[in-house]
Amino acid sequence: MKKHLTIVALLAALALVAAACGGDDEEPAETGTTGATGATGETAGFTQGGIIREELTDFGFTGAFDPTGEYLGTAWSWYQQMLIRGLLTYPGRAGAEGNLPVPDLATDLGQVSADGLTITFTLKDGIMFGPPVNREITSQDIAFAFQRINTESLIAQYGNYYCGTIVGMDCSAKSQDEPIEGIETPDDKTIVFTLERPTGDMIYRLAQPATYAMPQEVAGCFDKAGDYGRYLIASGPYMINGSDELDITSCDTLKPLSGYDPDRFMQLVRNPNWDPATDDVRLANFDGWQLTINSNLEDSYNKLLNGELDLYHGAPPAAFLQQYLTNPDLQDNFYSEEGDRTWYITMNLLVPPFDDVNVRKAANYVVDKAAMLQATGGESSGLIATTIEPPSVLPDLADYDPYATPNSAGDVELAKAAMAESKYDSDGDGVCDDPVCDNVLMVNRNYEPWSEYTPILQENFAEIGINLKIRELDVSTSYTTIQTTENLVPIAVNAGWGKDYGSPYGFNFFLFNTAGDSCEGSVNYSHIGATAEFAEGCGQKTLDAYNAVTDNGANPLPNVDADMEACVALPTGPEYNACWAALDTKLMEEIVPWVPYRWGAANIAIGDTIENYTFDQSAGLIAYSQIAVNNGLTPEELFGA
Amino acid sequence: MIRYIIRRLLWVMVTLLVITLLTYLIFFVMPPTDPAINFAGKQPTEELVAEVKAQFGLDKPLLVQYGLFVKRIFLGDEYGWPGLGFSFSTRSELKPIIFDRLLVTIQLALGAAILWLMVGIPIGILSALRPRSIFDRFAMGFALFGVSTPVFFLGPVMLYIFWFQLGWLPGTGFYPIGQYGFWEWFSHLIMPWTVLALAFAAFYARMTRGNLMETMGEDYIRTARAKGLSERRVVLRHGLRSALTPLVTILGLDLGALLGGAIITETVFNLQGLGNYAIQSVFSGDLYAILDVTIIAAFFITFANLIVDVVYAFLDPRVRYT
Repeated sequence: MKKHLTIVALLAALALVAAACGGDDEEPAETGTTGATGATGETAGFTQGGIIREELTDFGFTGAFDPTGEYLGTAWSWYQQMLIRGLLTYPGRAGAEGNLPVPDLATDLGQVSADGLTITFTLKDGIMFGPPVNREITSQDIAFAFQRINTESLIAQYGNYYCGTIVGMDCSAKSQDEPIEGIETPDDKTIVFTLERPTGDMIYRLAQPATYAMPQEVAGCFDKAGDYGRYLIASGPYMINGSDELDITSCDTLKPLSGYDPDRFMQLVRNPNWDPATDDVRLANFDGWQLTINSNLEDSYNKLLNGELDLYHGAPPAAFLQQYLTNPDLQDNFYSEEGDRTWYITMNLLVPPFDDVNVRKAANYVVDKAAMLQATGGESSGLIATTIEPPSVLPDLADYDPYATPNSAGDVELAKAAMAESKYDSDGDGVCDDPVCDNVLMVNRNYEPWSEYTPILQENFAEIGINLKIRELDVSTSYTTIQTTENLVPIAVNAGWGKDYGSPYGFNFFLFNTAGDSCEGSVNYSHIGATAEFAEGCGQKTLDAYNAVTDNGANPLPNVDADMEACVALPTGPEYNACWAALDTKLMEEIVPWVPYRWGAANIAIGDTIENYTFDQSAGLIAYSQIAVNNGLTPEELFGA
Repeated sequence: MIRYIIRRLLWVMVTLLVITLLTYLIFFVMPPTDPAINFAGKQPTEELVAEVKAQFGLDKPLLVQYGLFVKRIFLGDEYGWPGLGFSFSTRSELKPIIFDRLLVTIQLALGAAILWLMVGIPIGILSALRPRSIFDRFAMGFALFGVSTPVFFLGPVMLYIFWFQLGWLPGTGFYPIGQYGFWEWFSHLIMPWTVLALAFAAFYARMTRGNLMETMGEDYIRTARAKGLSERRVVLRHGLRSALTPLVTILGLDLGALLGGAIITETVFNLQGLGNYAIQSVFSGDLYAILDVTIIAAFFITFANLIVDVVYAFLDPRVRYT
């Protein structure tokens, strides 16, 4: 009997092992095919058809994909390159050219009046909303997008670019039906904007997705932030799968689009109403696009190498990065592009020892930026930053480096010379000898590469007598910590900033303007321009700090609001850029709020299926409007559409 | 027995209330990050933050917020009953998200449990019946390997071998049986089941072996043999019944805990289950989602305890409902 029991148990175990290893006959799912079986023809010599397959670890939307509030660069790219159209857009090109707006719904870049206070646009004929709206886009659809931006409950996250600039916009309207005084639509093809003041970079602001045409019959049904994101009506070459099934008879009949599950995936298919004759920007080579959420980054890269994905955005894990950089077969599949993002160490003007500009200058000299770049992954992760604005946003300063050191590795002697000028070095030996330099709190992120910066910076700052006490936190907490003014964090290395659009104003306005400073949620982490009133509003602790570093207001903190006002009023062009370059120089040499250490790269890995690889500088992602894919997949196959 | 069950159910409710209160205090009173600032974008002006707080219901006093939360759970909210609120991240109701993810987790947990019982118990029995044999040594070696190999290591290794290199099994992801058919569903789950089951199977094998060896040395087993009962009957009817009873307790607790989300397995195999969602929600500060997942995990654990206690009494006549 014991023998029988043994056999039964062994058989059960064997059956399970067989099941676990089973599927010998099973083919790997969707191995990449390189033929163009789904091709419908040739445009510009690239394969037509196919589905772009992409993954991300998380959508990461900040406004639930409603264009009015959405502030995520990835979402902007999808809107601009594939889904919706506005008066102006971006051309899907690399370099400075890619950061310049081009006409989209509009016939040109707008007619600006002599006083710079009105801009008039004329719309092209025959551009339609996708199903189920199926009607021509009019100037009222643009005006309605602005009414949504102006509506308080819709939380337009970058509404500050319009509110206070366009007459009648203050972002506090109670209803999205309220017209805006400064926006007129004399007919279906014309829209006129009246501005409070000349605004040189207005064309950039009008290329932002929140301003794109929105059909009131659908978008008007949603008066809370983010709700419209699951019902987005297309006007570009693609629409969210299931759009044609949306019942827009009334607001009550609307059901979320089946092609977008905010928890799992987004699927785009061709918008039958898009007419290539009306579109000078988008080639729309592929038939569909699928974005799937995958929590396992390594798995996504394995899928890419295995031909189950076509592209992946973002820095690869170290092992994959090494493969891409060293394997000759893979080197053409990996791109490291200018990301228009500056990574920096921010120093708080309200907290000793960084209330002293000489200490801040010493910090700029002493940091070993080369070591930080190496810790991040070397050149594939970006370039060493020498100033605030990245060169593709402000080319005037491409060669500017006010704190140059040999090989960008820091220079202790120069740093000591700067420190010797400070009030915290009483004996002039270049080393801080004041107790305020002990246990100086620095906020950092708690994962690589940031955690790799900790020993580098501790060693660097120790050279000038500043002993850093590093607090490593998860990314959200690290931001919340430094955004709360009353925390009075002296120095932080967790922060980075990417452009909103390719003009200098769109890069640094909020970072150094008093408008960007607040008690909770500040992004002017250095508190440039903070006043006694502001400090008092943030609590006694902040007021005490303010009084201590300004001698009770006798030596107020530097302020650059007026400099920015002067630059904003100029028309874009050489004078405009020169103005911002002068401000950048002032910030770097006179105020010194930051140690910029890296201009971050945008990493893109592609499969062999991608054709016509093009980088979209404006979004910092691949140019979906230009690329093609030769995997031969069809929407019917992948989506069941 | 009914009075016992009702009393235990009431305790389940009390436990859940205490857990929600603690979770609420941790995530709402001492949040590591401020969701209102997170969801006000890159330029979180005071006006935007205030509006976000109002829309998320975070502008009310904390006790009122908690009271409303409990009220919604029991009486329902604008999305129906039970009121699980809405996600800050997706601005959509949480109930369908939680329900969908719970289904994934249930399939993962139950499949793995079946597997580890089918592997662990037979191995444990065979080892107990043949102590110090080659099989026993091999089986205990397997148990040591299983217990000491973490999921975050074994998962990627299995994926690399069986999917990436050999192509025998498909990769990651969850493919619902209703939409993709049995084989797609099964083939995508077999690796997560195996990885998750391995550690448990090893533990159950060791427990079964130890318990059965101890039981087989008892006087009543000797008596049963002396009465001339077959060895099969002695082992299955008298030995196993007693040896496996403690496993029921462990199984209930393990299953209850897994139903709250097998975080690492779900993350490695990209299964959109509750554990995966919990992690995502904590990082994004999606407070109601965190609370909902906590409640569900706590419910399964406390409810599993209750069921274990009831079943235990059936299996062991010495236990009485008191």
